[in-house]
Amino acid sequence: MAVSERTTGTPQPIGFSRSPWGRIGMVLRWIALFIAVVLFLLPFYLILRNALSTEADITAPSWTLFPNHLQWGNISELFNDTQVPMARALYNSAVVGVLGTAGQLLLASMAGYGLARIPYRHADKIFYAIVATLMIPAAVTFIPSFIVVSSLGWVSSLRGLIIPTLFSGFAAFLFRQYFLGFPKELEEAARVDGAGHFGVFWRIVVPNSLPFFAALAAITFIGNWNSFLWPLVIGQDSSSWTIQVAMSTFVTAQTINIHELFMAVAVSIVPLVLIFAFLQRYLIQGVTQSGIKD
Amino acid sequence: MSAPTKTPSAADSVTTGERRRPRRRRQKGIAGNTLWFWVFVGPFVLGLLVFSYLPIIWSLILSFFEAYNTATPSKFVGLQNYVDMLKDHNFISSLGTFTIFAVFIVPLTFALSLALALLVNQVKIARAFFRSVFFLPTACSYVVASLIWRLSIFNGVRFGLANTVLGWLGIDNIAWLSTVSPPWYWLPLVTVRLWLQLGFYMILFIAGLQRISPTLYEAAYVDGAKPGWQVFRYITLPQLRATSVAVLILNLIAAYQAFDEFYNLIGNVNYARPPLVYLYSISLGSIQDLGHGSAGALILAVIIMIVTLLQGRILGFGRAGD
Amino acid sequence: MPAHVPNAGLSRRDLLKRTGGLAALAALTAACGGNTGRPSSSGGGGGGAKANLSQWYHQYGETGTQQAAQRYAKAYPDANVAVQWTPGDYDAKLASGLLSSKGPDVFEGHFNIAMVKSNQVVPLDDIMADVKDDFQPGDLATNTLDGKIYGIRMIIDPQVIYYRKSLLDKAGIKPPETIDDLISAAKELTTNKVKGIFVGNDGGNVMGGPALYSSGGEYLTKDNKPGFTDARAAQAFGKLHELYASKSILLGAPTDWWDPTAINQGLVAMQFIGMWAVPGMQKALGDDIGVIPFPKLDAQAQPAVYSGGWTQFVSAKSPNIDAAKKFVKWLWIDKSDYQEDWSLNYGFHIPPRKSLAAKASKLQSGVAADTVKLTQDHGYTDNPAWTPKMNTAFGDMLTNVIKKGADPAAEIAKAEKTVNAELSRLFG
Repeated sequence: MAVSERTTGTPQPIGFSRSPWGRIGMVLRWIALFIAVVLFLLPFYLILRNALSTEADITAPSWTLFPNHLQWGNISELFNDTQVPMARALYNSAVVGVLGTAGQLLLASMAGYGLARIPYRHADKIFYAIVATLMIPAAVTFIPSFIVVSSLGWVSSLRGLIIPTLFSGFAAFLFRQYFLGFPKELEEAARVDGAGHFGVFWRIVVPNSLPFFAALAAITFIGNWNSFLWPLVIGQDSSSWTIQVAMSTFVTAQTINIHELFMAVAVSIVPLVLIFAFLQRYLIQGVTQSGIKD
Repeated sequence: MSAPTKTPSAADSVTTGERRRPRRRRQKGIAGNTLWFWVFVGPFVLGLLVFSYLPIIWSLILSFFEAYNTATPSKFVGLQNYVDMLKDHNFISSLGTFTIFAVFIVPLTFALSLALALLVNQVKIARAFFRSVFFLPTACSYVVASLIWRLSIFNGVRFGLANTVLGWLGIDNIAWLSTVSPPWYWLPLVTVRLWLQLGFYMILFIAGLQRISPTLYEAAYVDGAKPGWQVFRYITLPQLRATSVAVLILNLIAAYQAFDEFYNLIGNVNYARPPLVYLYSISLGSIQDLGHGSAGALILAVIIMIVTLLQGRILGFGRAGD
Repeated sequence: MPAHVPNAGLSRRDLLKRTGGLAALAALTAACGGNTGRPSSSGGGGGGAKANLSQWYHQYGETGTQQAAQRYAKAYPDANVAVQWTPGDYDAKLASGLLSSKGPDVFEGHFNIAMVKSNQVVPLDDIMADVKDDFQPGDLATNTLDGKIYGIRMIIDPQVIYYRKSLLDKAGIKPPETIDDLISAAKELTTNKVKGIFVGNDGGNVMGGPALYSSGGEYLTKDNKPGFTDARAAQAFGKLHELYASKSILLGAPTDWWDPTAINQGLVAMQFIGMWAVPGMQKALGDDIGVIPFPKLDAQAQPAVYSGGWTQFVSAKSPNIDAAKKFVKWLWIDKSDYQEDWSLNYGFHIPPRKSLAAKASKLQSGVAADTVKLTQDHGYTDNPAWTPKMNTAFGDMLTNVIKKGADPAAEIAKAEKTVNAELSRLFG
């Protein structure tokens, strides 16, 4: 059995498959996989079930596996609820996600390229200064960041939500490492043709690095969409909430409509599941190449 | 300008050929390069100064002052805030909470994600399906997962999933998040983070596993190694060293900054409050004690840096991304 | 000699691209312009233009409150008032808002001395002068510091224990009169489907104040010393632990004690909650509700009813303090019809104005009338010198005693230390 696995050609750790338990081992492994799959998909089942139920279905004394009548009306109930700024929150999250990701990638890639490719006397010192900010855990600076942002008058604004998060030392680090490994011949060829740094960057380097950009874009977007602490701190006014803050706030609200809240949850993960479905390859590449997520 | 000066001119370059060219470019390039360097790197550095360095420095300054309900330093108190925080039993217990959390989450994440990676890597059919299923939770946020956990799985009343299952087994409802003895709240707190991040670390391990050359295994079997645990311990695990180090360090740093799930699952309770939740509550909650909050944040930052350095020294830093 | 010559590759196209990039960045910044949807509270000073004021409320649970608040704001002729309705942790949001430059001009909250010391609120004696006598002395005192009144009471919220009469009758229990009675009643009423009482998902911290007062103690004495340190207080807190340990309280409900869902859905037989919930409970349970105050510790003491509520303040940081004061006077002193609407049509609150309370017909019968009487007999209000930091220390003590079963006297000593430190910070 182990021999046949190896002759398929893909390098695989022999590990368990050479376990002395043989067939039984295989069965056990499949059972373990099955249980794991069930456990991992359980929360998604709950989201679907609760989002399409009535409150009575959910709080009933005995467990309803799935509602008899799918309450699609919950969607309109959610968006018509004046207490929940759902549409606004989705809009804010979208803006933060798209603009934030674009801005972050733009700034970090340019910085990384400059550090990797433009000779400058103090480049190393600047690089260390950037890396030093990684040592300070990001979440620990949220208090003073709030002070700085509020004295700029950016509390409760999209500016305040996006701009402070645009400067990711980690992304800059990744880009620098990546550009250091970028094939120099392509750049040299362009330079011979008279292109300057700007031209080389935009016309040669970026178009040939699209998978890397795509990977980082996917990871960054997910991170921005899901971020919670900073939008919580900055979002005083309900018109500046992102979808995460809005959902969190409604758990501590005076009353909870569980079905409405779960519909909000369902709506909030749709964009990310879509990204997942279409960009999974890049996501995984990005994760393995960078070794860290946000 | 055709005089033979040290500064080569355009005429020189044409006549003297290739060897001259690099020097000319570099010399002229230096001034141009400085400008371009700052065009590329400048905005980023500016932003970093304003939004990273400035807050850190301001916070450092504020930590030496008494600051209630205000962000402008007025009453200098020296190191008093730091002393207070180190003597504050709430702060100390929050560090304890974090430590217990890390003791649960780091080994569990490591072991389970490695196990998942091994399982997934060995199946021949539908491997992409399994990989997707385990990785999919990373699309969810901590807020989303906390809501599901708190309202639908681990709520304390009869219609929560966990209590329903207990009901089938004839056991009474457990108030998962409110029960202190035994401390059941650790179950939802740990499982929520596991669900969210196992897939991510599994991907790292799979990548690491696939880089192991099969010849190593073949050589081992030729030498008479027994399959199963022996091979795993002496071949697989050592080959995964770089990945393991990355996983452990990342995991620990992330655990230190646990906020989202604690805030949303259990709120501000004094028995399960990690440092960030505590600092948030005293600085930006109703107490508004920014002096002590800043001091606490800096103490926490120092602790994280020290632990990271220690961990790196003990385990040896792998190259990032290996 | 050509000095610095730009890199040979910099053509006009590249220059355009470069400025284009910067322009894009500028557009990015501009596009995210302040769009909170609120009129900016700066400017609009003199010159006849109407001032822009922002008014912050927490999220009331009753439907219709947000619309009512907006209605009042719109009806005000002398300024543009924008209402911010704040769900979630209102205290934290308010604190951050007052710290930033985008805070409210007018806001509701709970008074404490820190607000005066940090210059967050302005005195309102001038607008209160004519109507002082129409307010309850307790409400005035709770919003007064050094003889100056800083807030206007909007609504009074007594907090008591409501119970299902039918369930108590079925079990043959009389409404509890002492804490021990309460504990045994809760135990007897607990079945495997129903718990005896709901006092909050944290195990009962909200009853810490009433328990203290029902033992004869108080948060701070008249001369600003800790009033919760004697043995009877320790005893009262110990009783709360007893209640918790008897496993007859509901824990882990989806909403907390302030929401009547638990008692309405039949998950509990009794619930500690405020009078605001009475209409909702009557809708679900009809006449099957009775009320008791938090029971006394023993024969020597009195029951306790926490008379809380919300108070309106004017922010000292507002650029339009006079306009804000005028608005507050208009809404919470002059417009008695709005005040009556606010107090009685969305949940039940006692109107703070004695004149209004006297003619509030909705509060003159049934369990609401009983609650009002209990408040008159046993109500106590907050001490303004009790700061949030003291409250947190008190809360920590309660959590340790109730949930962990720690020794009340030791925990009280810990809280006393923090309270004393705060007192010396405030009063020297």
